[in-house]
Amino acid sequence: MSYVRTAIGVVLAALVVASSGGARADQRADMIAKVCGDAATMGDAARGFIRTAADGSSDERVWAAQIATALMDRKLSCDADGAVAANADGPIDAVTRAKRQPLGEARSPLLNLRNRALLETAQAALALRGSQDLGRRTAALRTLERQASSLPEQLFEAAIHDETDPALKAQIAAVAQAAALNSPDVAKRISAIQRIADVPTRRALALIAPLTKDPAYASNPDFLRAVDSATAAINRGITIGDTLATIYNGLSFASILFMAAIGLAVIFGLMGIINLAQGEFIMLGAYVTWLVQEALRHIAPTLLDWYLLIAIPVVFLVTAVIGIVLEAALLRHLYRRPLMSLLATWAVSLFLINLIRVTFGTQNLQFVTPFYITGGLPVIGDFIFTWNRMFAIAFAIVTLVATWAVVRLTPLGLNIRAVTQNRTMAGCIGIPVRSVDMLAFGLGSGLAGLAGLALAPIYSVNPQMGQNFVIDSFMVVVLGGVGTMAGTVVAALGIGQVNVLIEPIWGAVAAKVIVLLMIIGFLQWRPEGLFAVKGRRK
Amino acid sequence: MNAMSSDRPFLAVVAVIVAIAALLCMSAVLPFGLSAYLANTIGQLAAFAVLALSLDLIWGYLGILSLGHGLFFSIGGYTIAMYLLKHSFEVTGKVPDFLQFMGWASFPFYWSGFGFFGYAVLATAAVTLLISGIFGYVSFRSRVGGVYFSIVTQALVYVAMLLMFRNDTGFGGNNGMTGFTLLFGFPIGSKGAVIAMAAVSVIVLALTMLGCRLLLSSRFGMLMIAARDDETRLRTLGYDTLLLKLAVWCLSALVAALAGMLYVPQVGIINPRLLAPDLSLEIAVWVAVGGRGHLTGAVIGAVLVNAIKFWLSAAAPDIWPFILSGLIVMVVFVFPNGLIDLAKFKLQRTMLSRNRILSEPREVRR
Repeated sequence: MSYVRTAIGVVLAALVVASSGGARADQRADMIAKVCGDAATMGDAARGFIRTAADGSSDERVWAAQIATALMDRKLSCDADGAVAANADGPIDAVTRAKRQPLGEARSPLLNLRNRALLETAQAALALRGSQDLGRRTAALRTLERQASSLPEQLFEAAIHDETDPALKAQIAAVAQAAALNSPDVAKRISAIQRIADVPTRRALALIAPLTKDPAYASNPDFLRAVDSATAAINRGITIGDTLATIYNGLSFASILFMAAIGLAVIFGLMGIINLAQGEFIMLGAYVTWLVQEALRHIAPTLLDWYLLIAIPVVFLVTAVIGIVLEAALLRHLYRRPLMSLLATWAVSLFLINLIRVTFGTQNLQFVTPFYITGGLPVIGDFIFTWNRMFAIAFAIVTLVATWAVVRLTPLGLNIRAVTQNRTMAGCIGIPVRSVDMLAFGLGSGLAGLAGLALAPIYSVNPQMGQNFVIDSFMVVVLGGVGTMAGTVVAALGIGQVNVLIEPIWGAVAAKVIVLLMIIGFLQWRPEGLFAVKGRRK
Repeated sequence: MNAMSSDRPFLAVVAVIVAIAALLCMSAVLPFGLSAYLANTIGQLAAFAVLALSLDLIWGYLGILSLGHGLFFSIGGYTIAMYLLKHSFEVTGKVPDFLQFMGWASFPFYWSGFGFFGYAVLATAAVTLLISGIFGYVSFRSRVGGVYFSIVTQALVYVAMLLMFRNDTGFGGNNGMTGFTLLFGFPIGSKGAVIAMAAVSVIVLALTMLGCRLLLSSRFGMLMIAARDDETRLRTLGYDTLLLKLAVWCLSALVAALAGMLYVPQVGIINPRLLAPDLSLEIAVWVAVGGRGHLTGAVIGAVLVNAIKFWLSAAAPDIWPFILSGLIVMVVFVFPNGLIDLAKFKLQRTMLSRNRILSEPREVRR
């Protein structure tokens, strides 16, 4: 029984194929005639292939792909009886795929630039539908993406239906929205417009903006309303996104400034010394981070991605110890000569820069970008919540909390505050002033080192890098005043935001000039800084 | 008082400078004598010495450390470079490189008048006074002093550097200005012109020293030192220290601009690197090495440090920064008053026999 049924099925199937085969052969011959015609008909043929890719059967698509490839590779020869494609086993007829030699004078059709582009699109469309290779399908989508709005939407609908890879499926769906704009059905177009407006980016605006020149924009009021409201929504989204991006960039700049300046402020408040080598501690922090990364690469490659976290204690300890040594060897002699301490710390900075330059060279260090700081989260408009900036911000917040805890909650912090307020009196009641100085200097240097760690993955690390931050962080200290951490935080946020706000309007140099003028002006009003502790002037 | 006790060394240094000036003048006229290269080096050192004097005036005698004196030095340098380029252009028709780089057909409007030397000098003075006056008034009025003032001046020179690095300002951008051909109608590279510039620099140095000396031994100089030692007390006595500080600050800026005008024609180039905060810090190092609060100290420090720098930057450029930082650390810790410490120490030793007889009874009486 089953044999009989199978046999009947096979016969029926053969009949169906044979009957439809006739009509198909006519279509194929028609296509070949177009391919062998002039430039205009060749363009029609290419568009025909795209249509085939959208709604043709799988046999038809395979055939079209073969012809398109042969045409691109110039392996197709036209003759009186249609066309012959060169094959590995010898020439075959383009329509019937039977072996035959080209008749008489065969010529190979030449594609002009326009038709070549069209045919490439057709090839990509066919590959998206038919290729077994995920890589080729992805590459084909990249090609189609650029002209999605000129392609039939059925192409993408069918491709979404057939696609097995979920990631690629989502990507095709995104591209399909642009194609739907091109649908002959106005309702479909309007819904596509609304869907595109849901993700308000500059790319979406570029898709919607040309629709104002569409005939439907003038004739159909619904369409007009859809386009106008979509444009308005996208513009709104872009504005919000740009504002958020500015604030976000300002925050990340401010967090680096804060980390560089907080150490400076602690040291200045305590000892009245401006440490011109603070920038070099940032640089040292970045170099120690690099050394940790290289050590991990050799000892434990599996932990390499976590080098930024593993380096935190190492960087802090190393830079803090260098700071303590510096304080004990040099700066302790200079507390009564603050101006001389400027020169002495500059000497230290010169020495450190050149020591690093001689040891490591002047080239930028290469850092691994671990997965947790790659990429970002698109939020709204063109604003992307990038993880590497987020890392710097989060790091600064953690540092802020930790420093606050040290200064407010530990015995060392109590001593630091006491010595900052009145050195002599603190000494009188038995606080070991000297060792407080030393530890505070170590704390300040360690914090600068951590700033270097936070900078390492987002900034070019070389011996000169500290120089670019040091003057900005001085400005933070001058503006914020000494004695409170709030001053440093507010000043860093202010300078960071003002810099980022002005930069896109008048450029980076103007931003620096304006910030400096604002600080000089501000000092007229409060010479001791924002949050100076009230008391007698020293 | 410091100025009084260093009387003899001061005269000795002025005598040496005058002798060098005489030697230079002779070399210009006679076929033998100093080579153009040596004369040029001496001229540059003299310009640096004038710059060091300007900083010593404000730091050594008023206790205000400026880390931005490179700004005034560069103002003088830029205006004289503008004069040289405009003058060369007007006489020879040579179009400056930076105009060609920018593709500009003519000089920007603010270049007009720079073909005249007198105008260039006036413009230098005006710009220097304007910037130093406003900045000084604003800072001293709100009593920004000490380390704060130093840091803000450093930021000032840094911002000026960023500004001048821009190519669209009409001052040559990052390439700066170079290719000077004529100075008062004479080819700038000829031996005579080189030696003449050096001689002028050395003479200006001697005159600046004498001028500073006169100022410091006047009542005004006394007030300066009083303000350095205890400003609050001076203010309590009824003196307006704001005006005093402002006057000295502007004078110091003018002298620095003068040094820039002497320096740039001799090196033949100016670019924004002259505005780098490092150079301004180096000026303070020269003064500290020589001994701040002494006119001779500033001159000797500038000449000495720069002579070592000229020699080492050619012989062993990698070592120079280490030597410089070592020098600073040594000055800061071993000779807090700079080489003057060393000189006093030596003088006492060598003149021991003569001085003891003369000075000991006085010591006993006191």
